[in-house]
Amino acid sequence: MAFWKLFSRRRRYDDLSVSIQEHLAERADELTGEGMSRAEAEQQARREFGNVALVEQHSREAWQWPTVESILADIQFSIRQLLKAPGFTATAVLTLALGIAINATMFSMVSAFLMPHLPGRDPQRVVALSSVNPDGTFQADVYPVSVPNYLQWKKETRLFSAVAATREIGSGGLSTPGETPQAVSIAAVSPDSFDVFGSSPELGRAFNPQEDEAGHDHVLILSHGLWERHFGADPAIVGKTVRLNREDYLVVGVMPADFRLLGFVPDLWIPLTLTSADRAAAARKDRSLHVFARLQPGVTLEQVRARLNVLAQQAQHDDPAVEQGWGASVRSLGDFLVYNFGIGTALSVVMTVVAFVLLIACTNVAGLLLTRAVGRQRELAIRMSLGASRARVARQLLTEGVVLALLGGSVGLLLSWFGIKVLRAGMSFNEAISAVPLRLDHRVLTFVAVISAVSALLSSIAPALKASRATINTDLKNDTRSATSSRSHGRLRAVLVGGQIVLAMFLLAGTGHLIRGVYEFDHQDLGFAHDHLLTAGIALDHARYSGITQQKNFVRDLLFELQQIPGVKQVTIASTLPATWTDEVSIHVRGNDNARANEQQRAGDRVITPEYFNAIGVRMLRGRGFTDGDTANSPPVVVVNQQFVHKYLHDGDALGKQVNLDTAGAPEWRQIVGVAPDVKTYATIALVDPEAYEPYAQVQRPIGSFSLMLRTSVNSDSLSGSLRDTLKRLDPELPLIDVVSMDKVIAKQTAGNPLFCDLLATFALLALLLSAIGIYGLIAYSVTERTHEIGIRMALGASTADVSRMVLRQGFKIAAIGSAIGLLLALPLPRVFGAMFQGLTFRAPEVYPIVLLLTFLVVLVAVLGPAWRASRIDPTTALRIE
Amino acid sequence: MPRNPDQRDLFSGALELMILHTVRLTPMHGYALAKHIKHASDELLQIEEGSLYPALQRLLRAGLLDSESGISAKGRPTRIYRLTDAGLRHLEQETSSFEKMFTGITRVLAASRTQEA
Repeated sequence: MAFWKLFSRRRRYDDLSVSIQEHLAERADELTGEGMSRAEAEQQARREFGNVALVEQHSREAWQWPTVESILADIQFSIRQLLKAPGFTATAVLTLALGIAINATMFSMVSAFLMPHLPGRDPQRVVALSSVNPDGTFQADVYPVSVPNYLQWKKETRLFSAVAATREIGSGGLSTPGETPQAVSIAAVSPDSFDVFGSSPELGRAFNPQEDEAGHDHVLILSHGLWERHFGADPAIVGKTVRLNREDYLVVGVMPADFRLLGFVPDLWIPLTLTSADRAAAARKDRSLHVFARLQPGVTLEQVRARLNVLAQQAQHDDPAVEQGWGASVRSLGDFLVYNFGIGTALSVVMTVVAFVLLIACTNVAGLLLTRAVGRQRELAIRMSLGASRARVARQLLTEGVVLALLGGSVGLLLSWFGIKVLRAGMSFNEAISAVPLRLDHRVLTFVAVISAVSALLSSIAPALKASRATINTDLKNDTRSATSSRSHGRLRAVLVGGQIVLAMFLLAGTGHLIRGVYEFDHQDLGFAHDHLLTAGIALDHARYSGITQQKNFVRDLLFELQQIPGVKQVTIASTLPATWTDEVSIHVRGNDNARANEQQRAGDRVITPEYFNAIGVRMLRGRGFTDGDTANSPPVVVVNQQFVHKYLHDGDALGKQVNLDTAGAPEWRQIVGVAPDVKTYATIALVDPEAYEPYAQVQRPIGSFSLMLRTSVNSDSLSGSLRDTLKRLDPELPLIDVVSMDKVIAKQTAGNPLFCDLLATFALLALLLSAIGIYGLIAYSVTERTHEIGIRMALGASTADVSRMVLRQGFKIAAIGSAIGLLLALPLPRVFGAMFQGLTFRAPEVYPIVLLLTFLVVLVAVLGPAWRASRIDPTTALRIE
Repeated sequence: MPRNPDQRDLFSGALELMILHTVRLTPMHGYALAKHIKHASDELLQIEEGSLYPALQRLLRAGLLDSESGISAKGRPTRIYRLTDAGLRHLEQETSSFEKMFTGITRVLAASRTQEA
């Protein structure tokens, strides 16, 4: 429609009125001519014509974008109506805004973590190929891949246009002359790795094909973050040489900032070199590669899955000792990243909770609208009697809901902007999590639009239906104050409020269980004393520590020097820190051959020095720990944990048994000399794997990276300076990785839990608060409604106490029914959570009385006010109101 | 609004067609139009004002009619509706298609009556 028409419409409408007025006048003239009186004639003319206003409206609609304009008019009208009732409007908008804001804020996490950013071209064609671990450990079906399997899969050119492998090497030292070396995380990737993702460097080039060969492999590509942080975004960095692990590397490229994979955030990439030993069949045991592939056009995941299964069968056939039971799996890149990151379950719980809170908020607004609808019955009846159809009136009320939701959505968006900031600050405890940007992206905006629309519908559908069913005659005749027509509104509201209590109760009970479960888990006994322990990581480079002797000499000197620091009680190294992660090896117990020949026996393998058990405050259950007497020349010994004894020795006598650990060193029989108590394998899941400890002195293979642990008599953080100084004296070019207390190491893994609990608790309390507001609104309104009735009761002899009791009873009846249903619904929750969160137990029957008490207290507070007001009603005034 | 039970709803487009035809020769105002259609159909067709004015506005909007200020027989200001060129073309087109339709309907009705007989 042309714009001039919009402007010329006013004239059109005037013309229309002129025509109709003339029509009426002429008809009246005619009737007068037939002998009617002027007044009678005019009335008769109007009666014949019908509803002038309606005809005019229908005629005008010919000019309008039919619905759009009447909707605009509705919106204008709604805004005027809402402005007239600022208290109502503010309450409704704020309630909706809160509900929408927490949903949007949480959804920003969903958007960031469950719909992760995928870099490069056609990311949906990229898949992740993984091993499937028959042991069923944590995330067993996205287990890393061995080099021989990777090379085998790479040959499947019919399926994949490119296959690339990534090995996370961990930390290395990036040194600048005259400065403390900086620890950086390194990933070794096959040269075509960036091609698989369809990405290329923003500066310089990707790796060349021959750069995975020894002699050409001293090249590296920087991440955008490290380039900015460490090199001041030097645009001429490409072509310069940097020192990494005491060796010179040529910088060939810088990747763009948007090249990041959820959970994989190395600082720099070097080529993955595969030696002939890596390629040999013996290397099948070493599963450490993440494999990504780009599918050929038209190839489906199903086809890849089928082929991988065939290859896995073949591998089992070729090398049953290693491959027995192992499978292979494929996932799309997005699925893999989300699954591997493992945040989905917690997020889905939080999203469910916030959705319920929004539902409660909508119910509150619906209640408010219903109350208003009662007050507006006469207005609506008049509109209908003037020719407005029921649909028209219902639409008007829906429009009001939409306007409210739009306002709520806008305020909610503003609030969620702050919410996301707070959330981002709360997530800085873990690099992998804080590396993922949370923002109000287009998905969050779309989500807000959708939930605003849903809120509008939810909160106004009941009032709209109710109002459009109003009966014109009775409503017009009735006085607004009469109770008959509003009784059904009251009933509907009571159902709504009861429903809120059900939801709130359900949420409180569920959250109570979760918080209790997570608390117990967070405060579980990890099996060792983690206070007063200072830890640091060290990665020995090949340049200076090329052989076992150099490594051992360095460790010996380091332990000796650290022992001299005042405040240090014990010093030990361990291949990995307790309760974080260990290498896994195949083990074999002598004499167990006939046990289950086909079953692979695997255990964690931790290399430690003699002071380890003392340093972590653990006493042997049986036998002894390691001593300085356990040397390379003495008989090989091993210590195992209780779970090992349970699983592989059937809780029998372990001491003296011979065990073979299938490590990269020469396999040999070791004698069990001690049984150590169980230490939890991870701080984040309640799991204890069988574990074997090897004495560092007897290990005949290089141990390049390990952790230092210092048991201190003073605050462990206060010794980090001395630790750094000592290392600097021994080797100024070797970086220390993450000098932190053991408590912090654990907190870094579990810090998500308090955040998770805080969020849940906040939302559940918000739900209760909103329900309380709902019940308060209902009871307060019904007291106002029943002023007259209460006046009569009092005039007939009811005491103030009777009246208060009556009001309280009304409130508590709803609360009691709602709570009962809510509690019933919450009963199966512990089992549901148990299935969702592996390793957590939810047995907390005390949750039920606590939330019940809490709910009744809140309901009491909400109802006391109206009850008090009811008891203060003066019968004479109340009766005179009529 | 009194309604004669013998009367029936018009075919869609029939009212518009009659309006266009009526103002083809003599431009006239709304009331005159209503009266004219009533008389011309020997009172068989009674135009409801509730349909007439919206129809007029639709025709104005479609550019088939034009309106101008005028003075009614009684000397009161009113709007006079006249046919535009586009209206004339539309009328001719529609008339022929309506005639075809009526012929068709009449034949079908006649045929079924013969069968009944």
